[in-house]
Amino acid sequence: MRRCVAASLLLLAPLVVVGDQTPVAGRCMTCHKDKTPGLYRQWYLSEHAKHEVTCLDCHGAQKGDRDGFRHEGALVATLVTPKDCGKCHANQFKEVDRSYHATAGQILESADAYLAHAPGGEPVAIPGCESCHGGKVRLDPKAPNRLDHKSWPNSGIGRINPDGSKGSCTACHSRHQFSLGQARRPEACGKCHLGPDHPQKEVYEESKHGNAFFTHVPQMNLDADRWVAGVDYAAAPTCATCHMSASPQQKVTHDVGQRISWTLRPPVSKMKPDWQRKRQSMKGVCAACHGGRFVDGHYYQMDGLVQLYNRKFAEPAGKIMAMVRQRGLLKNKAEFSNKIEWIYWELWHHEGRRARHGAAMMGPDYTWWHGIYEVAQHFYFKFLPAARHHSDPEVNKLIDQVLADPMHAWMQRPTDEIKRDVRSGKLQQLYKDFYKPLAR
Amino acid sequence: MAPLRTLRRFWRGLCTNWLGTTGVVLTTTAFILFLLAELLRMAGIVTNAYVGLITYLALPLLFVLGLLFVPLGWWLHRRRTGKSTRELLSERFEAELVASSPAGSRVVRTIITLTLVNVVFLGFGGARMLGFMDQPHFCGTACHSVMNPEWVTYQSSPHARVRCVDCHVGQGARAAFDAKLNGAWQMISVTFDLHERPIPTPVHNLRPARETCERCHWPQAFYGDRIRRIVRHAADEASTPRYTTLSLKVGSGSGRRRGEIHWHVAGHNQVRYQATDRSRMAMRWVEVRQPDGSYRRYSNRRAPPGAAPPPDVRVLDCVDCHNRATHIYEDPEDAADRLVAIGAIDRGLPFARRQALAALTGSYRAGTGPRAVDLDFRGHYRRHHPDAITKRGRQIDRAVRSLQDVYRRNIHSGMNITWNAYPDHIGHRRGPGCRRCHSPDMVDGTGRPVSSECTLCHSMLAYDSAAPFQFLQPPDPADRECEMGLFLRREFLGASIPGNPCKATRPKNEQEWSSRGGEAKVGSEHR
Repeated sequence: MRRCVAASLLLLAPLVVVGDQTPVAGRCMTCHKDKTPGLYRQWYLSEHAKHEVTCLDCHGAQKGDRDGFRHEGALVATLVTPKDCGKCHANQFKEVDRSYHATAGQILESADAYLAHAPGGEPVAIPGCESCHGGKVRLDPKAPNRLDHKSWPNSGIGRINPDGSKGSCTACHSRHQFSLGQARRPEACGKCHLGPDHPQKEVYEESKHGNAFFTHVPQMNLDADRWVAGVDYAAAPTCATCHMSASPQQKVTHDVGQRISWTLRPPVSKMKPDWQRKRQSMKGVCAACHGGRFVDGHYYQMDGLVQLYNRKFAEPAGKIMAMVRQRGLLKNKAEFSNKIEWIYWELWHHEGRRARHGAAMMGPDYTWWHGIYEVAQHFYFKFLPAARHHSDPEVNKLIDQVLADPMHAWMQRPTDEIKRDVRSGKLQQLYKDFYKPLAR
Repeated sequence: MAPLRTLRRFWRGLCTNWLGTTGVVLTTTAFILFLLAELLRMAGIVTNAYVGLITYLALPLLFVLGLLFVPLGWWLHRRRTGKSTRELLSERFEAELVASSPAGSRVVRTIITLTLVNVVFLGFGGARMLGFMDQPHFCGTACHSVMNPEWVTYQSSPHARVRCVDCHVGQGARAAFDAKLNGAWQMISVTFDLHERPIPTPVHNLRPARETCERCHWPQAFYGDRIRRIVRHAADEASTPRYTTLSLKVGSGSGRRRGEIHWHVAGHNQVRYQATDRSRMAMRWVEVRQPDGSYRRYSNRRAPPGAAPPPDVRVLDCVDCHNRATHIYEDPEDAADRLVAIGAIDRGLPFARRQALAALTGSYRAGTGPRAVDLDFRGHYRRHHPDAITKRGRQIDRAVRSLQDVYRRNIHSGMNITWNAYPDHIGHRRGPGCRRCHSPDMVDGTGRPVSSECTLCHSMLAYDSAAPFQFLQPPDPADRECEMGLFLRREFLGASIPGNPCKATRPKNEQEWSSRGGEAKVGSEHR
């Protein structure tokens, strides 16, 4: 009898193999080729398709995944996180995870988020701020794909994902083609790095680098697998070239910020931790196309501009603003409920950054007309009058002290005399120490 | 000749006044004209539907009118003169005509004879009228301006030998009465130009499809699968063909077995729905009868704001899907592909399919279409491929003729019918079709949607593929669509392929990928 059963089981064994119904992405592809033909076509043209990386490799969910749901016989998740991509792209995942980009979603305590939520309101915070910064992904068990409308769609670069990972690879490598070329073009970064407060895209477009890029796009070899500056292309650098990609001396990195020596974001710029190494890294990229003296000269000029902004305007304005606050002169309690706060905010957050970014990326117009020119105008004729408006003796005393500084004393002198000092070089002597990077 | 003389004297006697005279003239003229027209029609000399309308509608009407005028004239005459009927009879007719006899006077006998002739004539005329109106030619050409598009498409349809009335009127006196009543309104709306252009669909007063369609097509007749090969051609120089081959599961299933298309109307199965408006382009809900007689409802969670009041609940029948079973308008892409596939447009002509589509879909002034199609198609080759004009002139001529035929069949500017004026619900390519119900948005009380999976209704043996039966081949790991082929082959042939051969050669991670050489040889650190 036992033999009989055993024999029967053996005979049945091939049926088990024949009946193998491991979900394959072919089922997804069959329908989605028709229902979402654009999405399917993008995937079809991608490197993923070439290497049989198919739907379930990225969208397949594990039992227990909070955003997983059953769909036509498979357990899937709409949201693909850096952790999912990291299954194959392990290095990139690690680099992204420790990058400054990955922290962009944690802005809820920042002044930016306060502004969006208080003077603005949640409906602007989601499509406005979180579209770039990324927000915390909220789940809705009742939604067909388990994702709450308030957090989906969202491909913000610092998205806080339900699996604990940070960021979204599709912020730069758009679904579903995940093109290398797209991420290497300035437009990829330009989705967020633009506008009145950080016009990196516009500065780049104004610069010789941008000019050369748009002139020579066909020579940029953008879709090549290997993309080493000066070797695989030499026409122009893009954002990716300098901040991420390989040069003969550099490895590629997804930890954006590893080649940045100044932080140009805060009210007063500072050198970043380990700035010498970072600057050296960036200089390594520059060296693919430029000589050493050229590169050093650029940094000499940039350091000068940043410190001009810092010392002539940002630091004094910061001190005055702090004193106004400290002495309780602000009429309304809430932050940004007084005009002077908006003036001060724009002084550093808008004009001040524009000047610094302009100098960092060789955009002359942004350095001066959109930059320091406006900083100066708003400092002298908006910010100081707004501070004096409180008629507080201490604040007025501080303002007088600031204006007594030789850098600001020009206001009390005859024009001819100033022009003579410019011609003789005497006025320039005031700034001679600005060209050295700050020691931390 | 005595009866003829009697008849003449009888008629003269009836002409009491102008009304009686008119009656006699009308009746006699209508009768003679009818006989003449009927003889000409029988001889095949006159076939025009408008003459038919006069013969079968106007003349019998005049005939009856005349008959009514005669007694009316007599009555008026009697009232005016104040004489009795006997006195008038003696006065109007000669004595011998009114002289009584055992079989009645000659006047009475003439009246009886003529009444019999009238009855026979009206019976014959009525029968001929109904018979004439049952002919497709009448329906198609009597109201030429309105019906012409339907008439043209009907003639080249699979139902070209089924009479219009078989589907549109149906069986029985009630159906005929309804149809004539509706027809009367249509005549008014055509006469006074009250109708819309194009005529809106669906037609809401069609006979129940189960009564008409199922006389030839009954659900039990659907079994097995049907292979349908769709050929598309790329817009490239060679008009490269791409194949989509479907094995349509057209069976009627048995009992509650679903997944076969005619299950919807088979056995005791019943599907009913309420659309969002009269166009039936979107559903508010759809219900399926359960074994216990209750209904399981799937509601549209994205129902567009519908008409108020909402349309009636309908039981799904043939025409809900086969809404263009006969009056088939072609999609221009389908037409271009069909012409290339059957060789009416030679693929040897550079960019033949692309230019065919361009010629068909050009924007032309009303009435100039066919000529413009010629100019567009031929003009392209004259400008860009003059060689083709000299070497392939005959192929170009044939292509132009075929394209003009397609254009004439499908474009009817008088009725504002341009390309795709009407949705086609068979499938889901040229209208929402199946997806009005089979959509992820149609969910039951628990949120579970109606299945909308592709292989529910058809297996796919090729899908925009290079070969017509691509997926019957073992899947090729080098093909980007390998997994799709694998799935569809399994689905069609049954689960006979273990594992996933498509992934067999795929690198497991980036390092492995890099180490395999080729373009990745430089290593990931430099990419």
